[in-house]
Order: sequence, then structure tokens, then C-alpha cells
Amino acid sequence: MSAINLPDTLLRGERSERTASRHRRGSLTAGLIVLGGMLVFSVAASLAGGSASHQDLASALAPPGHGGHLFGADALGRDVMSWVGGGIRTSFEVAVCVVALSAAFGCTVGILAGYLGGWLDAALMRIADIQLSIPPLPLFIAASVIIVNNLLSLVILISIVGWVPYARLCRARTLVIRERGYVAAARLAGRRRGAIAVLHLLPGLTTEIAVLASLQAGIALLWEAGLSFLGLGLQPPYVSLGFLMSEGKEVLSQAWWVATFPGIALALLVVGFNLTGDGIRDLFNNDVSGGLR
Amino acid sequence: MLDDALKADAPADIAAARSRWRGVARYVAGRLGQGVLVLFGAVTASFILVHLTGNPATVLAGGQLPPAQVKALSEQLGYNRPLIDQYLSYLGHAVRGDFGNSFRYGTGAVSTVLTALPNTLILIGISLAAAIAISVAVASASVLHQGGWSDRLLRPLMSALQGIPDFWIALILVLILSVKLRWLPSLGFAGPSSLIMPCIALTLPMLASFTRLLRGSLLDFTGSDIALALRARGLTRREIVIHHAMRNAMVTFVSFVALQAGWLVGGTLIVETIFAWPGIGTMLLGAVQSRDLTVIQATVVIIAVAFTLLNLLADLAVIWLDPRIGRERVSKEGG
Repeated sequence: MSAINLPDTLLRGERSERTASRHRRGSLTAGLIVLGGMLVFSVAASLAGGSASHQDLASALAPPGHGGHLFGADALGRDVMSWVGGGIRTSFEVAVCVVALSAAFGCTVGILAGYLGGWLDAALMRIADIQLSIPPLPLFIAASVIIVNNLLSLVILISIVGWVPYARLCRARTLVIRERGYVAAARLAGRRRGAIAVLHLLPGLTTEIAVLASLQAGIALLWEAGLSFLGLGLQPPYVSLGFLMSEGKEVLSQAWWVATFPGIALALLVVGFNLTGDGIRDLFNNDVSGGLR
Repeated sequence: MLDDALKADAPADIAAARSRWRGVARYVAGRLGQGVLVLFGAVTASFILVHLTGNPATVLAGGQLPPAQVKALSEQLGYNRPLIDQYLSYLGHAVRGDFGNSFRYGTGAVSTVLTALPNTLILIGISLAAAIAISVAVASASVLHQGGWSDRLLRPLMSALQGIPDFWIALILVLILSVKLRWLPSLGFAGPSSLIMPCIALTLPMLASFTRLLRGSLLDFTGSDIALALRARGLTRREIVIHHAMRNAMVTFVSFVALQAGWLVGGTLIVETIFAWPGIGTMLLGAVQSRDLTVIQATVVIIAVAFTLLNLLADLAVIWLDPRIGRERVSKEGG
């Protein structure tokens, strides 16, 4: 056996394959741990610190650890830790709502386009091309002239751009899956087209949709935080990490903690979602880089 | 025998080259068509945006004017005409690059935006160049030392970097470099040193995604049969990575970089406002705050134009990098 000298590229490939599979489960676990930790922190902070928007001017800009403020206080004496905890919750809300809305719409459109084809397919895909070719953030900023401080309209705004990758993915995969034997069998058995789409096409797409969803969740968070940071997304009474960071920017020279902690929370959330997405993708060895960005 | 084979091959080669160029021409035409479509979409989107509330005059008034004055304003600006009339005239003016005058400055909206554009392009250009150069170096080093400690360190590091919002990096840089150490100025333009912090903030997250993509495609190639064949011919791994894998990886990389530039534009808009950098971001934010609708519309369309041009350039680069492009089309038609 050992007489055959395998070239080291092959061996290297094999070895890296093995470490990669260990790596695979690793990134999914790491991602879920990070996200779970953030949720626990959010709940704990809201239980311990009370209301995020409670103002206490006596302890304005209290440094971390002073006066019961573990992460310090902002210029109005609001507890940074409670605010970060509440902000994480808002971020999760934004992420879940955006993903649900854009996945539902995008998958429907994509499966319809892929399954029915024809002019519908052509038209939908042209619209998708156009949406993908216009950078989203300038559009969001421009749109905030009209849409003021409302979670629902912000979610809809982000989803208007966010459905496109789902539609492209579902269309491409549907084109492949609809040729499979079991779809033909279902058709022969007399299933209607709508039932085939839901019962036979959709299940084949779930892992890829899950990957896309967790990657998109991270991006949606960043968009919300960026807009709120500019003063255009969510402002009080909403509790947003981006808003706290914009406050922190104003007092950066006196109080480093106001901008630092929400930034760390935001980065951890995004990394958590990215790791989870990468983990699911690696686990099933599917490549859906998607046109998310 | 040999001569015959050569003779037989020559016209076939010429024919193949000619048909490739035909394929390429068709490809470019298709891309141009799509670009026009995108611009049409951007113009339409910017129109819808402003008319979403019904009457833009109410947005302009911002709830500070009595209804009678709002009505007068809307008549004066032509917002009381039928929507389709307004759209067609907007489209007609947009094609000629005319978005009306800025409500705030009174100058042409397009020229107002164009004065800010170079400042933004400097930021984008430097960060893009830095991210590309560093990611090429880091990715090839990591592939050459695959499995080594630097490579193992790289993956989690890049995952983490990719998640960090650029505007937060900017804040931390200001905190450390201007507030604590007082090495760099934090606001506006005060010489080349003002470019350092915004560029670092924009480069880092991009660097992460570039490196990850590039490393992936390089590994795809080194694991392929082509790489094995090259290895059998006696090429070293280094030669394969640098001369063969990199060229192949560039095809996906270039299109990816062009798409990422759209992301970069978004990041730039936010980072600019932190440093009060006189670019498009600061301008757009100011326009939004003062409800300067024409400037907002012009900004959206100009960003779309710049982005479309960049993607066209990337397409041309891909044609040059990937000789299969024209041929694929032709062989598909033939088969």
C-alpha cells in the first residue's frame, strides 16, 4: 500500500478536508452560542437594570462600575447596560421581522418564477437584477425623508430590498428540482401546482434558505443600526444600539463607554449570525454565496 | 502530415477567434442593456420615493406651513399635476441630467452632488485598493501555509472582522488615535492624515470578505485536477498558487469586488458623517435633514450611475481575464 507515493497536494487536501469537517460543526456551535449568549444577556440586563430609558441626571456619564452602572451611564444618566440589553432585543426583532417578511415574499416569487417560467419569470428576474444593482443604503437614507421612527416601516423598507436574494436562490434551485422524478410523480398523481410548490419544492430548499436567512439577519441588523446611528432609523422611545452609538459619538472625548459597549454587542450579534450561516452551509456543503451584499 | 494539420487548424482558429468576438460583443451589449435598465430603475425608484406620501409639498413643508401655503407651494412646483405627467417630465429631465435646483442652495442639484463626489471617490478608491492589495497578499500567504498557525488564526479573525460595523471601527479609531493619543485630527479635511482613519474603518470589513472569498477560490483551484497535473509537471505549490490559481480566482474576485463596492458606498455614507468629511454621505444626510428633495433624488441616481459604470468595467475585466466567456455562448448556440 505504502508503495504508492501520493502527491502531497492530495494528502494535503485530505487532511484539510478532515479539519474542515471539524471546523464545520465548530462554526455552527460557536454561532449559536454567541447568539444564545446575547439573548441571555439581554434578558438578564432587563431583569437586573430595569428600564433602559430611565433617566437619572445625578449619575450622568458615570464611568463603568460606578453607582451600580456596570457599563456606565450616558449623558442623561441612562444605564448603558440596560440600554444595550434592550438594544439587542430590538436588533433581534428587526432581524426576525426582516427575515420573515423578505423570505416569505422572496421564496414565493422565486418558486413561482422558477416553476411557471415564461414572462412572469423574465419580468421578476429583471426587477431582481435592478434591485441588486442599486446600493441599498443610499436608498434607505433617502427614504427616511418620508418614513420617520417606526419599527414596522423600517422593516418593510429593508425587506423591499431584502427579498431579492431569496427569489434568485429559489428560482435557480426550483429550475433544478422541478426536473426531479418525485416532482413528476406528484404531477402524475394529480397534485395541483400550488400543492407541488409547497409540499415538494419548498422542503428541498430549506437549508439554503436557512443559510441565506442567517446571513441576511446580520446585514439587516447593521442597516438598522447604521440608519439609527445617522438619526434616521429608530429613535427613542425605541431602544436601538445604533442610536446609543450616535449618543456615544457626541461624548466620545469624555465617556468612551457609551459608544464602545453597544458596538461590541452589535459586532457580536453580526458575527453570531454570520457564523451560524456559515455553519449551516458547511454542514450541508452547499454553496449559496447569494447576492446578499 | 504535420503541415496539413497546421493548415487545417489555422482557418479554424481564425473562425474561433472571430466567433469569440461576436460572442463577447453580444455579452457586452447584454450588459449595457442591463445597465440602462438599472438606471431606469434608479430614476423610477427616486421618483416613487419622493411621491410615496402623496404630495411632496407636505414633506417640503415639514408640518410647519399652513395648508393654504402648502397648496400654493405644490402648485408652484407642479406637484398638483397628474402623477403620470410628473413622472414623464421627471424622466425626460433625468435623461438630460437635470433634476432641478437644490431647495437649500438654489444651485443645480446635479452639480451640487458632483462637487462632493470626488471627496467620496478618494475614500472609496484608497480603501478599495488597500483591501484588494492586502487581501491578495494575505490569502495567498494563507493558502501557501495552509494548516499553519497563521492560516488557522486567519479564519476566525476574518469572520470577526466581517461582522464589525465600519462606523464603530471609525468611532474606536477616533477614540484611540485622536482623543487619547492625539495623533490624528478627527474632523474634516486637514491634509492627507485626515484620510487615514476613514480609510482604515472602510478597509477592514471589506478586507475580511475579500480574503475569505479569495482564499476559498484559491483552495478550490489547488484541490483541482488541473493543479495536480501542474504538480506532476514539476511546478512547485508556490508557482501553482501565484501563476495559475490566482489568475483563475481573479475572475470571481473582480465581479465580487464590483458588487461589494455598492456595500462600500453605504459604509462610506455613514463613516463620512462621523469625520464630517465633505463627501456625498455628509451631503445626502444634510439634504435629508433639510428635506432637499431634488438633491436626494440626484444623489440616488448619481450613485446608481457610478455603481453601474463600475460593474460594466468589472465585466470588461472579466472578459479579459476569462477567455471562456465569448466561446461559451457560441458553443451553446452550436450545440
